[in-house]
Amino acid sequence: MFDLERAIHRWLRSFRRHRAFNHGAIREMELHLRDHIDDLLSKGLGVQEAFDKAVREFGDIKPMAREEYWNIRRKRTFINTIMLNSYFKIAFRNLWRHKFYAFINIIGLTIGLSIVFMIALFVNDELSFDQFHKKKERLYRVVENQYYAGQPVFPVAVTPTALGPSLMEEYPEIVNFTRVYNDNFRFELGEKKISENSGIVADASFFEMFTFPLVSGTVQSFKTDLNALILTEELADKYFPDEEATGKSINLDGEQFFVRAVMADPPKNSHLPFRYITNFERYLSGDPDRANSWGSNWLYTYVEMAPAVDLNTVNDKIIGQIKANNEGSVTDIYLQPLTDIYLGEVDFTVEARRKGEMMYVKIFSIVAIFILIISCINFMNLSTARSAKRAKEVGLRKTVGANRRQLVFQFLSESVLLSVTAVILSIGVVALLLPFFNQIANKEFDLRTFLEAGTGFKLGLGILLTAVLTGLFSGSYPALFLSSIEPVRTLGTHGTALRQGAGLRKILVILQFTISVVLIIGTMVVYQQFRFIQDVNLGYNKNNIIYTFVPGEKSEVFSNEIRNQRGVINVGLSNRHPAYVLSSTSGFDWPGKNPDETILMHYMSVDEHYMPTMEMNVIDGRQFVHTDTSVVIINERAKEIMGLEDPVGQSLSGRNDYRIVGVVSDFNFKSIHTAIEPIVIFKSDELSRVYIRYDPMEQAEISERIESVWMDFFPDREFNIYYLDEDFNDMYDAEMRTSKLSTYFAGLAIIISCLGLFGLVSYATEQRTKEIGIRKVLGASISNLFLLLTYDFTRLVLIALVIAIPVGWYAMNQWLDSYAYRIDISVWVFILSAITAVLIAVATVSYQSVRASISNPVRALRNE
Amino acid sequence: MISKNLTAASTKPIILGVLRQGNSYGYLIIKKIKEMSGGKMQWSDGMLYPVLHRLEKEGLIESKWVMSDDSRPRKYYEITALGKKELVNEREQWVHVNSVLDKIWEGQPSTT
Repeated sequence: MFDLERAIHRWLRSFRRHRAFNHGAIREMELHLRDHIDDLLSKGLGVQEAFDKAVREFGDIKPMAREEYWNIRRKRTFINTIMLNSYFKIAFRNLWRHKFYAFINIIGLTIGLSIVFMIALFVNDELSFDQFHKKKERLYRVVENQYYAGQPVFPVAVTPTALGPSLMEEYPEIVNFTRVYNDNFRFELGEKKISENSGIVADASFFEMFTFPLVSGTVQSFKTDLNALILTEELADKYFPDEEATGKSINLDGEQFFVRAVMADPPKNSHLPFRYITNFERYLSGDPDRANSWGSNWLYTYVEMAPAVDLNTVNDKIIGQIKANNEGSVTDIYLQPLTDIYLGEVDFTVEARRKGEMMYVKIFSIVAIFILIISCINFMNLSTARSAKRAKEVGLRKTVGANRRQLVFQFLSESVLLSVTAVILSIGVVALLLPFFNQIANKEFDLRTFLEAGTGFKLGLGILLTAVLTGLFSGSYPALFLSSIEPVRTLGTHGTALRQGAGLRKILVILQFTISVVLIIGTMVVYQQFRFIQDVNLGYNKNNIIYTFVPGEKSEVFSNEIRNQRGVINVGLSNRHPAYVLSSTSGFDWPGKNPDETILMHYMSVDEHYMPTMEMNVIDGRQFVHTDTSVVIINERAKEIMGLEDPVGQSLSGRNDYRIVGVVSDFNFKSIHTAIEPIVIFKSDELSRVYIRYDPMEQAEISERIESVWMDFFPDREFNIYYLDEDFNDMYDAEMRTSKLSTYFAGLAIIISCLGLFGLVSYATEQRTKEIGIRKVLGASISNLFLLLTYDFTRLVLIALVIAIPVGWYAMNQWLDSYAYRIDISVWVFILSAITAVLIAVATVSYQSVRASISNPVRALRNE
Repeated sequence: MISKNLTAASTKPIILGVLRQGNSYGYLIIKKIKEMSGGKMQWSDGMLYPVLHRLEKEGLIESKWVMSDDSRPRKYYEITALGKKELVNEREQWVHVNSVLDKIWEGQPSTT
């Protein structure tokens, strides 16, 4: 009897001899044969007859196998979307199955990317300064290098009044100029009487050169109309809330001005912030001689160059412009590109109000790259470490016909899936942390600005690119490594073939910890330097000082009245802020001075109470007294540079003749970044700055008492007081922010590194469960095992320390060199960093090692 | 009888053409072709399958298994948009060949 089923099975078996047919294809053909047989049976044929006919018509299997084989070999000309889909599906399943490792990977990457994104925002903003000017390529600021005997080059950002016009007249390459200086007025309109800050005075060409769009009005009249005023929208709204400001009049310092135009508020990323503009011609009209002044450097000169002119050629021509017009000048000039001003690395005297630091942009960019590397290393390490398990999968895939390209694809899609997840999460993190970040970075980033068409697109593209690149970068090594595995080695023994990845893994862990330790060292040094700056001996006591401004003619009476108030210790007058003495001259002469040398000296004026109030030390001679006229006190540095053995009693001539009555010990009258320079202090009256030293116990009441005196003297003036120590906080704002930010960065870098280490250790102990079990059974103690497991990884951290310490030492010394007053890096910084790193690493490792060493060996060994 | 080479060359447009009329599975496709050719095209049934698989790989057709309660499972093939384009292309070529041949036949008396 013919057995149809057996015949069909026998027939099918002949297919299986050919590799070309997969299960689905064979099944398909079986169904074909059965359909055909059914058809033939229904036509009345016998069972065997039908089978034979169907098989005969089906044909010879060999040529079919050959054809099918070519199908498999034939290369795909495009990436099959179905395959791509399946890559991601499998990738997702793999991640889901290993939730713990996927979690560690994603968290690490998310933290890393969040930092990178925030730093990118910061850096991008810093680099965007002054880029909005349409003529930015052709706009320059004229700056000076002054050369004095025995002193380093003295760079100055301000220039004389006559410089701009003379440059434009004599050099055809320079087609326009504008002069700008800061001057604030008291606005009076109806009831409102407010001193407004951020006022500038400028030539009418200001509007032709810079791109600050007008909202209403014109600037035409600005050239001739001396009392023209241009307001920004913010001020226009403040004084003329519900009406058109243009055309209205308003009193400035008691004089009538007319609002001629309203300007859009200048962008935040401008080095030249202003709220209102008055006319430079008004200043010149005060005295016709002013226009020809070459002697005093006091205003910013901006010039516009003709198109396609070489900067160096122009610089060579104009370098001596001041010397040519001002006999005895030691000043060279050159042009500084507008877009270099904000991040310029020259420390100019009288620099623009808004100034960034290229160094911080560089430091943070490097930190961002470091942190990204650390996070990517986590991924690489965990993927390759787990390769022992994945290796079997790879072996199996290869055996059933996966080629290397497919495997690379598989692993890359896993890492890209991970990094895309991390990117999405980190966008959320950035959005949440933005207000906080704004606060420490002193920026005003707003989520809404990112949704604007242009920025949004660029940002989206950037983020997408980051996601894919991070994925590809961190997935590249595992992908190439795993796909190169030979199936025989993985399927035979238990992953012994996979030790080869361990060396590289260790190097990567060392790299991670090296970076982390360098960041820790950096943080400590920045913090210490910052503390040092705050506590440095300024030469006077900045604490418990309130200051205010009064009209000079009433300052003496006013200060005497204040001195009588309870809680007031002393009151002194001066014409300068103690930390911003920027006026200087080379016009002093004294007996014994080398006539060939030009020596620059700063100067300021004070009354007889100022030095006692500020707690400055007169170390030679005497203090000023009330009756003093034509006397000066110099500082130690001045004594040194003047070459005087015994200066007291010597004469000093400047505009008049003076007698030196005392020497005051050096004090800082500029930023701590610069060394102390020579200064001459005059005794003077009618000084408008009032410095009040108060008893800190009475701080709460002191401002009220001052205000009540103020009201008696100046009933119609706005009362404002300032705290001197707050000014210092503002001055070292950048240091403070860097110190904070680097603390966060270093902390996060260590966390990311430890996450990776934790993952690695978890995996390693998991792998060695049996080994540990056997060791225990054979008598190893818990502490033995703990040391065994811990040492393996802690060793890597120790190696990292050996590398990180010299690197950190070198880098931080470079940074500290930008300070005139700096700490020496103490050994303790390194010892502390080392202890921190080792402790954190050991803590990370020990959780798993302890768990492994106290586990019951029976559990580990039961399965075999 | 139509020669082996010509049969092989025409397989692609024929299969695409059959699927253009509606989704179908292997056995039914063969049956249709046999009927239409009146038995003049010499096929071994099995050779259809490598061709189907090749067309699928090229993205001209798609397949899915359909299970139903009252019959055997079938692997149904469906023509894709790309396949339809390819069919138009093939058709143009065949029409062209045909028109060339037509002109040649007209210039020569038929042998029958």
